[in-house]
Amino acid sequence: MKSRLASLFYENAQKTPDKLAIWCDGKTATYKEMADLVSRYSNLLLSQGAVYGDYIAIPMNNSIESVALFFSAADLGICVVPLNPSLPLEAVKSAMQAGDIKHVIARSSFFSDCAKSGGLDIPGFAICLDKEYEDTVPFSKINEMSTNRPETDFDVKGDESLILTMTSGSTGNPKPIDISQDNKYERSMAHIRVYNITKEDSILAATPLYHSLAERLVILPLILGATSILLPRFTPAIWLKCVEEQKPTFTIAVSAQLAQILELLKKPDAPTITSFRSIVSSSALLEASVKYELIDLLKCEFHEMYGASEVSTVTDICFQTSQDKQKSVGKPFDEAQIKILRDESESDFDTECKPYEIGEIAVKSKLQCKGYYKQESMMQAAMFGDYFRTGDLGYLDEDGYLYFSGRKKELIITGAINVYPHDIDVVIGQLPEIEECAAFSYPDERLGEVVALAIVPKEDHEINLRAIKTYCARNLADFQQPHKIFVVDKLPKNTMGKLQRMSILNYVREAGLDQ
Amino acid sequence: MEKVKEFIVDYIQREYTISEDIDIMELNYVESGYIDSMGMIQFIAVIEDEFGISFSDDELAEPDIKVVGKLINMVVKKLEEV
Repeated sequence: MKSRLASLFYENAQKTPDKLAIWCDGKTATYKEMADLVSRYSNLLLSQGAVYGDYIAIPMNNSIESVALFFSAADLGICVVPLNPSLPLEAVKSAMQAGDIKHVIARSSFFSDCAKSGGLDIPGFAICLDKEYEDTVPFSKINEMSTNRPETDFDVKGDESLILTMTSGSTGNPKPIDISQDNKYERSMAHIRVYNITKEDSILAATPLYHSLAERLVILPLILGATSILLPRFTPAIWLKCVEEQKPTFTIAVSAQLAQILELLKKPDAPTITSFRSIVSSSALLEASVKYELIDLLKCEFHEMYGASEVSTVTDICFQTSQDKQKSVGKPFDEAQIKILRDESESDFDTECKPYEIGEIAVKSKLQCKGYYKQESMMQAAMFGDYFRTGDLGYLDEDGYLYFSGRKKELIITGAINVYPHDIDVVIGQLPEIEECAAFSYPDERLGEVVALAIVPKEDHEINLRAIKTYCARNLADFQQPHKIFVVDKLPKNTMGKLQRMSILNYVREAGLDQ
Repeated sequence: MEKVKEFIVDYIQREYTISEDIDIMELNYVESGYIDSMGMIQFIAVIEDEFGISFSDDELAEPDIKVVGKLINMVVKKLEEV
């Protein structure tokens, strides 16, 4: 039995060989060319000794080759572990340990960084993407490979892990979200149904491919026979130029991007964008004013969705057809059910909230991931029966529409990337001049939230902010960098001495430090 | 000069190879998305480490620092001063 995901793609390549399968950064591939690339990639992996069930790590950029790798991996029953290329090496190493990585595919800069810090200890092969580098296999070897889809003697049943998405940062335990081939297939099918996506659509992915949203947006069109438009890097100007030229008809964007795009669209010399039939905003609530201006300028159907990587999209709302529910994030997909859970400490038996009562959003969904890879206890801790506790707060109205009210978990979401503040605390806390510190969420117009840091210096120690920023630059990933640093005399704590992270912002504001 | 150029150009291409038809010396690597504003802090720290120099806050605020050729010149000038 062959992989369903890979087979659907290969069938499309047979049906419409000359159709544009993918565009990225000025390069294109038709379905025939893409199928050839996927086959060559599979044959390259096999020739180097990859076998069913292997895990391959890749600091991933947005490119046609990265997309081909997902389909090769599916066809071979292999799991891809895409990593954020900006992660510091220590974080990469801990992510690789958490994911049982056997092989690595990366650019030469990655291998030379590894060499400088004691080398890379993996049992399998290393492929270098951009040039010949020491004892790695050059990716250019792919040109010697056959374009025939490899004949394999094993079954790909569909429950194989296809992608491990690493959600945590540098020092904390990485939480690898384990997505199977069937998960990816079912998630794609649900989105195709809800958003009426057809073969005629061109689907824009404008977020990094190591993020589950973009993975969905490139896999979906290729199994459907539509066209994938993959933005290499995001700036609002690159997005606008790409949309003007490639004319995508559908996208799921993160709200932080949409706010930046709107600024550019409002300029007098901005182009008129008419190609979209539908845009979905995800990851954080979009400000109402931004929403209405975008609807006015882009003249298309406008949706907002709510979800989490573990359970995929949970709810959706279309603003043109739900005029009376403008503040809601919508009703659940057919695959999902929602419960609003009352804080356990407040109630012993009746744990479900009534309409309009705020509690934790918990979701039971057929689209739920396999779990956290090798961390079953962590997944169990996040479950309430069959329901996944999202860590978000919200309520339902009498018609079953969900409203988002905030976050319960101590998480910072900056430009759609989850940042665990504890990871940052641990890294900064190692500085000798620091007594204690805490990262916290700071509101930001452009990114929704950014990382801020409160530090308490040790007695008789001077704090040099520039030195701390440089230390952060060297030891934290780009998305973890504190945008603001506040020096405080103490951190807000409760009577038990527990840090009150959600109160830090108020604390620094009341102390007059946030000017 | 060549060593500085090679180091900076290599760093900017950590994730993407820059197309040959782009004049790399004139490239604004922030506007073109090769390094974002957060990555910029990391980038400067790496350059400071590699060449044993440091940039002042005023220099970091100059728009020129975001253009490859101009950044290279700034680094070379600092090295000459050392």
